[in-house]
Amino acid sequence: MNDVVVIKGTKSGIILVLKPDEEYDVLKKEVAAKFKASAAFLGEAQKALTFQGKELTDKQKLELIDIIQENCRLSIVCIMEEDEKLEQSFRKSIEKKLQQQDCNTGQFFKGNLRSGQVLDVETSIIIIGDVKAGAKVISKGNVIILGSLKGNVYAGSAGNKNAFVVALDMDPMQIRIADTIARAPDRPKGKRPKETKIAFWEDGNIYIEPLDKDVMNDIRL
Amino acid sequence: MGEVIVITSGKGGVGKTTTTANVGTGLAMLGKKVVLIDTDIGLRNLDVVMGLENRIVYNLVDVVENNCRIKQALIKDKRYPNLYLLPSAQTKDKTAVTPEQMKKLADELREEFDYILMDCPAGIEQGFKNAIAGADRALVVTTPEVSAVRDADRIIGLLEANEIGQTHLIVNRLRTDMVREGNMMSSDDVVEILAIDLIGVVPDDEQIVIATNNGEPLVGSESKAGKAYMNICNRILGEDVPYLDLEETQGFFKRFASIFKK
Repeated sequence: MNDVVVIKGTKSGIILVLKPDEEYDVLKKEVAAKFKASAAFLGEAQKALTFQGKELTDKQKLELIDIIQENCRLSIVCIMEEDEKLEQSFRKSIEKKLQQQDCNTGQFFKGNLRSGQVLDVETSIIIIGDVKAGAKVISKGNVIILGSLKGNVYAGSAGNKNAFVVALDMDPMQIRIADTIARAPDRPKGKRPKETKIAFWEDGNIYIEPLDKDVMNDIRL
Repeated sequence: MGEVIVITSGKGGVGKTTTTANVGTGLAMLGKKVVLIDTDIGLRNLDVVMGLENRIVYNLVDVVENNCRIKQALIKDKRYPNLYLLPSAQTKDKTAVTPEQMKKLADELREEFDYILMDCPAGIEQGFKNAIAGADRALVVTTPEVSAVRDADRIIGLLEANEIGQTHLIVNRLRTDMVREGNMMSSDDVVEILAIDLIGVVPDDEQIVIATNNGEPLVGSESKAGKAYMNICNRILGEDVPYLDLEETQGFFKRFASIFKK
């Protein structure tokens, strides 16, 4: 009767698979025996626990946790519900949090990005130098270029529509924010005054405007 | 079934990309469905010459690696709806694709297009092998300089070794005044050295520089180079077109002066 109780380990948790049609008392004994036998292998750690297979009452779950902790040196920190919707919502909220973090944390890059070079970062990025035609910057957050932008920028690459792009000399080939792509107009390039501009997303469009106070007030981090 | 034409030269800077852009646009003007493929991975240019650089989202390597469908990577030309460009990747190198993959791609595009033009990189390495993999015929571009002609000769040998059906020659950037003075090889001299059939002679024309910088091929325009490219297109379609008189049409004063010289 080896498959009455099965212990599966994951990185930070233990999955306890119980045979659905077995008596609770039998399972209890089996759990005790199994954990005692593998106590040395499991070692001393803090783990989360998930039950699979048999439906258990809360009281039974707590009792089983006690049994586990008595028989080995693991300490069970929490019980994870095997609910997929819950799991998804957890993941979503974690991703959201991470995304915010990506926008609000940043790093610096010094140097010119030339044709064929790609700078791909998880956070916001400040580039001290130029982004030349044929070069590409990809960031999950915002992109600020203290130089000229003549290449491609992809801000908010994880889908953050609040991401923006600022360049001291704004003359991009393409700007992409979240899932919206804007491209340069098809005019032959003549002389053009250098101007600090910001590119931002609004209602499915990308707007490029001079960086003045009003626009800066509208920036949401 | 479409025809795959590779435009190659061996030496760099003789006008492969300009020729691809103009011949492709010319064929589209003549009503053919055309796709231009830039096979110069890592040093792409054709998109710039066509003025389509700002539209690139996916590229050749994305198609080959199945990151996107072919349709997603094809860029429709600004002026001719039956002309498309498949741009090259800028961040990879020539080893990103194999000749087998290029052949498969060419065969897929054959179903839909009348002409598939491969813009070959300079050199005879992997990039060249990729470009000629699926080709039915070749256009060898050379300028009337010994170095370019020497490289063209090497290329023609390699094309023959790879059994590319028809190989034709384009002599680019010919200066009739220098030929007349005996300081430059004539197109006949080049043909004699290379021993393949000529399909066109394109004069040196400053309009080409202007057109390239503006991202607009000048084929079909009134300039001499524009006419020469259009003639090449008609010859590709199998028509018998007489060669242009590339002599400078002399102005009144010049003619006057030349009378006095005698």
